[in-house]
Amino acid sequence: MKPEVIDKLRDIVGADGATDDAAELLVYECDALTLFKNSPDVVVFPADTEQVAAVVRLANEYGIPFLPRGAGTGLSGGALALEGGIIIELQQLNRILSVDAENRTAVVQPGVVNLHLSQAVAHLGLYYAPDPSSQVACSIGGNVAENAGGPHCLKYGMTTNHVLEVEAVAADGTVVRLGSKTGERIGYDMVGALVGSEGTFAIVTEITVRLLKKPQSVKTLLAAFRSVEDSSRAVSDVIAAGIVPAALEFVDRRTTEAVEASVYAAGYPLDAAASLLIEIDGFEVAVEDTQASIVDVCRRNNAFEVRLARSEAERARLWMGRKGAFGAMGRISPDMITMDAVIPRTRLPEVLTAIERLSEQHAMPVANVFHAGDGNLHPLILYDGRDADQVERIHALGEAIMEVCVGVGGALSGEHGIGVEKKDFMCMIFNDDDLAAMRRAKGVFNPDGLLNPGKVFPSRPSCSEVGPGVTRTAEAARRIDEYVRGAGEARA
Amino acid sequence: MIVDSRAVDRVLAPASAGELAEMMRSETGTIAPVGAGTELSLGNPLEPIDAAIDTRRLDRITEYVPADLTIHVESGVRLGQLAGALAEHGQMLPIDPWNGPEATIGGVVATNAQGPLRAVGTVRDWIIGMQVVDAGGRASKTGGRVVKNVSGYDLAKLYTGSLGSLAVISEISFKLRAAFAATASARLRPGGLAEAADVIREIRSGPLEPVSLVWAGPEDPFVAVRFGEHPRAVEWQLDRLPGEGWERFDAETESAVWDAVRDRYRALAEPVVRVAAPPSEARAVIERFRPESWLVHAANGTILMTAGVDAIARLRERHPTLVERAPREVRLQAGVFGLTGAEYDLMRRVKTAFDPEGRLNPGRHVDGERPA
Ligand SMILES: Cc1cc2nc3c(=O)[nH]c(=O)nc-3n(C[C@H](O)[C@H](O)[C@H](O)COP(=O)(O)OP(=O)(O)OC[C@H]3O[C@@H](n4cnc5c(N)ncnc54)[C@H](O)[C@@H]3O)c2cc1C
Repeated sequence: MKPEVIDKLRDIVGADGATDDAAELLVYECDALTLFKNSPDVVVFPADTEQVAAVVRLANEYGIPFLPRGAGTGLSGGALALEGGIIIELQQLNRILSVDAENRTAVVQPGVVNLHLSQAVAHLGLYYAPDPSSQVACSIGGNVAENAGGPHCLKYGMTTNHVLEVEAVAADGTVVRLGSKTGERIGYDMVGALVGSEGTFAIVTEITVRLLKKPQSVKTLLAAFRSVEDSSRAVSDVIAAGIVPAALEFVDRRTTEAVEASVYAAGYPLDAAASLLIEIDGFEVAVEDTQASIVDVCRRNNAFEVRLARSEAERARLWMGRKGAFGAMGRISPDMITMDAVIPRTRLPEVLTAIERLSEQHAMPVANVFHAGDGNLHPLILYDGRDADQVERIHALGEAIMEVCVGVGGALSGEHGIGVEKKDFMCMIFNDDDLAAMRRAKGVFNPDGLLNPGKVFPSRPSCSEVGPGVTRTAEAARRIDEYVRGAGEARA
Repeated sequence: MIVDSRAVDRVLAPASAGELAEMMRSETGTIAPVGAGTELSLGNPLEPIDAAIDTRRLDRITEYVPADLTIHVESGVRLGQLAGALAEHGQMLPIDPWNGPEATIGGVVATNAQGPLRAVGTVRDWIIGMQVVDAGGRASKTGGRVVKNVSGYDLAKLYTGSLGSLAVISEISFKLRAAFAATASARLRPGGLAEAADVIREIRSGPLEPVSLVWAGPEDPFVAVRFGEHPRAVEWQLDRLPGEGWERFDAETESAVWDAVRDRYRALAEPVVRVAAPPSEARAVIERFRPESWLVHAANGTILMTAGVDAIARLRERHPTLVERAPREVRLQAGVFGLTGAEYDLMRRVKTAFDPEGRLNPGRHVDGERPA
């Protein structure tokens, strides 16, 4: 990058507001998907919307690629500077600008850490519902970009259901306000399009979110099962009973072992093939009943232990195991890839069995800890990054797992996004016409493609060309069929 | 067929998504997609139309998996038909737009139609995927068939509420919820604006979580509230309604309340606008404008009220305001959306990107008005 660009950036953000120091840039080589790395040429730390807009205009003037970055906890490579250029780091924009308790809304800057918002409004009896497991670190701007979810989005919806209005800097540097303070959409739902656009439409600089009243009563219980099938059936039966749990999470044996050996030890039974962490919330007068129905469903599906958290401390401990599960994997494996896929929840048993078979075939251990209530799987592939052969195999295994999920009518991602990680899998689900419609939307916001290039869309020009991630071939269809049927038979 | 006072000679009625795409491919003129025809004058006045696409024969529920809480339906399926199928399995799609059971689901989505259940969200919150056909006859899909999905851009959000200006919707996938275990309602006849506003503020700030909360006036004013939950939670909430004089209705009798609310909506004197004001400001807006009639979704703040061209301009100084139901002249003079600046420009670009020749419902959306 030309030195004059760095100088001009410093004119905008101040001498301390930019760095191109090689050692400092190391931090910005990747997000939490560490398998892919590339260094930006420079990172800037703007202090307000105007500075963001000025940086964007400068990037346009010189034709330099640029992209926003929040806390860098993304798991699909969204904040990876694939073509170098400028990373616009938003952590300085970390103020909660206002809280309107009566209307239950808050206006925040994008760098506000997710959990901090809930903490800041707790004394008002309010909270911010989307709660990704990374909520102690991730930013609300990043959540908006990825349409982040979390355990409680089963009942309360994803980020997109909680964003009312945004201010954003468009890819050409124009500052625009979209949406309204009540969530009423007048004209096209531009906020809806922007949420989940993975930092490729615009840079969000201010967000008005909806806050919810804290529920009167919360009950958390853990149910342990000797077989994965029993636990999966319990999940289906809870839903079939008309219960909408606040959260319904699944933890398998491998994960339990890792968690129990770590600082996140939560007392999950080590002899369980699978445990469910179930939370219900609502009115005091109703939750007792609901809880009894859930215990009943679990027992009928052969749960050998159902444990109710009796205090806030016990509840926090049960959740610590779940929320710390990804971190705990470090105990049993040097590296890990967190996959993300969604399947119809009725297909859980066969898909989990298929994943187990694939894991054996590829000789790579896979742990499962995920949002069972909405069928959002997170297979964790455990590997050793120092072993080139293993790294090679991850891709094949990852692709095979995605094929199984897609094969039963699932989706490529439930919350982590496509980014670079899954862009070549897009053809598993979408055809050229589907992608053309998506390109139209991107063209509205980011016509020159300078903002966050190389994301979301497959690298090859057409899905009808043969290449990785094309499941439409007869061969792939046969393979999927085999996995799924094989899994079914293995169960029978 | 008459669409927004435009006579349309040619009416095409495809019976499948494939047929729809084929018909669209052979059309070269302007096209108006039409459902049951319950909301055809929403939006800016239409320009001349060469052909209408009647979606009512696209009336199949293509797949319903109760255990997955998902349903996939063609766009011509009627709301009543859909609700009936879901009720058999104790499930529901929690929307109850004013236009009622005859409306097609495609029409409801295209107009982002709402009703008293506005308090628990709008139809956009329940859509998980969509299939559409663009003006050139090219079919495409967005989203998927599972309840949670961030694969690719969420174009369904753009199509929802787009008034048929971007593409014709052929199929929609929804996530569902269990039907309310129990419901009950209550109605209060407040003494004045202050009493109504106070009661609403107390309901909103306390522990109550109504699924509908509506305030109507000025003639024969009332506040109506509905709870939908576990039976004991419904009782508990009813017992804690603030103030005196609530008339209670159980699940058997509550339809009287909500039928009356629906009648009130239909009786709103034109021009009717939809004002996006925070709930706490509803009273101030009503006091300032003294509308001839109003109906407030008091839980989230949307105000439906009578307002003329001057009032619309003044409303827009403070709150985004949509002209919801109005004679042609008012829509022309005020502009239906009243958007400005960069937001307007971006929306114009959306229309151009998805319908470059301006053939789908021309004039109806932002393409029909200048920036305010
Ligand atoms: C241990 C762990 C657990 C996780 N659990 C969950 C979970 O339960 N649910 C879930 O959904 N995710 C989860 N994630 C993924 C991740 O935390 C989320 O995707 C989060 O939303 C990313 O936020 P961030 O601030 O770190 O964004 P970053 O990683 O910095 O960026 C993510 C994307 O957002 C863009 N972006 C950032 N800020 C802005 C902005 N202001 N405007 C526009 N675009 C912007 C970036 O360009 C990039 O494309 C988890 C991650 C980890 C490491």
